[in-house]
Amino acid sequence: MINVQNLFKIFHKDGMDVQILNNITLDIKEGEFVSIMAPSGMGKSTLLNILGCLDKPTSGTYILDGEPVQDLDDDELSRIRNSKIGYVFQSFHLLPRMTAWENVILPLIYSDDDSDMREKANEVLQSVGLQDRVNHLPRELSGGQQQRVAIARALINNPKIIFADEPTGNLDSKSSAEVMNIFRNLHSQGRTLIVVTHDPNVGAQADRIIEMKDGQICDDRWTKLSS
Amino acid sequence: MKIIRMSAQAFRSMRDNKVRSFLMMLGVIIGVATLTTIVSSVLGARSQVMSRVERFGLDQIMVMAGAGRKPGVPQPTPTTLKIEDANSILSEISNVKDVCPQINRRDIPIKYQNKNSYAILIAANTNWAEIWNTQIPNGRFFNDSEVSRLNRVAVIGQSLVNELFDGEDPVGKQIILANNPFEVIGVLEKKGASPTGLDLDSRIVVPISTGMKRVFNQDYITNIKIVVSDVNQMTDTVNDVKMLLRERHNLAPGVEDDFTIVTPTLIMALASKVSSTFNIFLILISLVSLFVGAVVIANIMFISVNERKAEIGIRRAVGATRNDILTQFLIESVTVSFLGGIIGGLSGIVTVILLSHLMKMHFGALATPLVISIACAILVGLVAGIQPARKASYTDPIEALK
Ligand SMILES: Nc1ncnc2c1ncn2[C@@H]1O[C@H](COP(=O)(O)OP(=O)(O)O)[C@@H](O)[C@H]1O
Ligand SMILES: [Mg+2]
Repeated sequence: MINVQNLFKIFHKDGMDVQILNNITLDIKEGEFVSIMAPSGMGKSTLLNILGCLDKPTSGTYILDGEPVQDLDDDELSRIRNSKIGYVFQSFHLLPRMTAWENVILPLIYSDDDSDMREKANEVLQSVGLQDRVNHLPRELSGGQQQRVAIARALINNPKIIFADEPTGNLDSKSSAEVMNIFRNLHSQGRTLIVVTHDPNVGAQADRIIEMKDGQICDDRWTKLSS
Repeated sequence: MKIIRMSAQAFRSMRDNKVRSFLMMLGVIIGVATLTTIVSSVLGARSQVMSRVERFGLDQIMVMAGAGRKPGVPQPTPTTLKIEDANSILSEISNVKDVCPQINRRDIPIKYQNKNSYAILIAANTNWAEIWNTQIPNGRFFNDSEVSRLNRVAVIGQSLVNELFDGEDPVGKQIILANNPFEVIGVLEKKGASPTGLDLDSRIVVPISTGMKRVFNQDYITNIKIVVSDVNQMTDTVNDVKMLLRERHNLAPGVEDDFTIVTPTLIMALASKVSSTFNIFLILISLVSLFVGAVVIANIMFISVNERKAEIGIRRAVGATRNDILTQFLIESVTVSFLGGIIGGLSGIVTVILLSHLMKMHFGALATPLVISIACAILVGLVAGIQPARKASYTDPIEALK
């Protein structure tokens, strides 16, 4: 599903080159539940943005679901983000003036899917347990509920892969548990999940834990859950 | 369809920011309102000119006695233009189909029983009604034998009918015209006021022979209306008429014409000169306010693009292409200016209707100016929106989502 070879990412900052990703090579199969762990500032988000087709590496190859991402133009990357990828952010990133269902349908706006958006929104909101919050604005929802709306949004185009960047970073432990529970469910349905976190408790719930240090992968192990 | 879904998003965003949307509209509203009013009044003036030219006749020329005269402006009539001039124009110039010599005189006293009034007296040939495109709804026009026998018959205008006859049928009645008894044989179709403010319905038409011998006792005439066969040879024909008359009047080379030739082109030029400077000034004002409207829209759009960075980032992250973002912002600016155009256009129409009632101004059709103005508004929205929309489309999603 994901195949990354010799990936580098270099930022130019104050006239200096800062090497954030330093020769990353990585292979993730369809249906895996992977957590990427590192302390803050170590380049987790940078890596996830590249994997999520929001950013491009400085060099290296990246094959996503058979498509050579490094060769694609901006429009094709947009199409991939729309159809193959669901993204979940730490700070939810919901549109504040739109209701839960209106936020959830955003990916549908830009897809070629002409089916009933409202109906699809109801379905995915139900699958994250928010069927009675459909018409609520984000500010009328708790943090956990907002993140579940964001997950519903990530799911509405039925993507193969979900990327989550510190999805529990802004949540209390109860909401975190709910969100991780949803992720485990998605995993059991066969979806590929890649979760970035610096929280060991969250990371431990994945099947496979990749640890990063100084822009490189320093550990890649399977947890007992996977067996 | 995607474009419909994106339009719905754009409308949603405008609805969520009503004050912003209204501010964006304001300049367009003002610009379009003035533009609608002006275009309507320009069209009105033009249609007035056209109807004046049409009344004159596109295939007609008028020769007036005297040099440097303007139609409708009274001056003492020189005595050099004769009825024989008219006959010779008809017989000697091949492109001339018909001529109508006539005498015009204002303020002629007219009397029926004990009622008095004043008329514009026209002494003319039998073809007058046809050449001036005038129907005779009641009675008839005079005929050739009445002209040759110098009969005292008259066809009178509606105003005279109203003033003198008080509901009675005028046809067959005796009136006194400049101390001569005349029999009313017909009534002229109602024509209203002339462009120079003359009441065309106070005219009375009598045979030219009767007018010359029995009323005025003169051998000269006021003007000759000429109908040409081929409108394309108008210029040549005008020249032929000029040469013929100079020859007949024995004018040596270098001596000024003792007549004036009026053509439809001249009428058009005279009529459209009025108020065109003022219109240009007003059109300039409305263009300036449309320009200001465009600048306002562009600036508010730029601010809005900056404020909505996160929103743009989210949309990009879930799969909007640059083009989708561009389209969505353009839809917003065009919709805002389009709505501004509708509101402005309707205000313009209300202004037009008010002005035409209050100031008796003449306005043209309302649909054309409305369409022109709204098209301008849409253009303003496109032009003003394109740069902000481009900026929005180049927002870096990662930067925006930090
Ligand atoms: N656009 C950028 N320009 C320069 N430096 C950047 C940019 N984006 C991220 N960085 C730097 O790269 C490092 C890694 O950032 P990030 O991937 O967000 O780390 P993490 O998600 O692990 O906290 C940070 O030190 C950050 O300051
Ligand atoms: Mg991060």
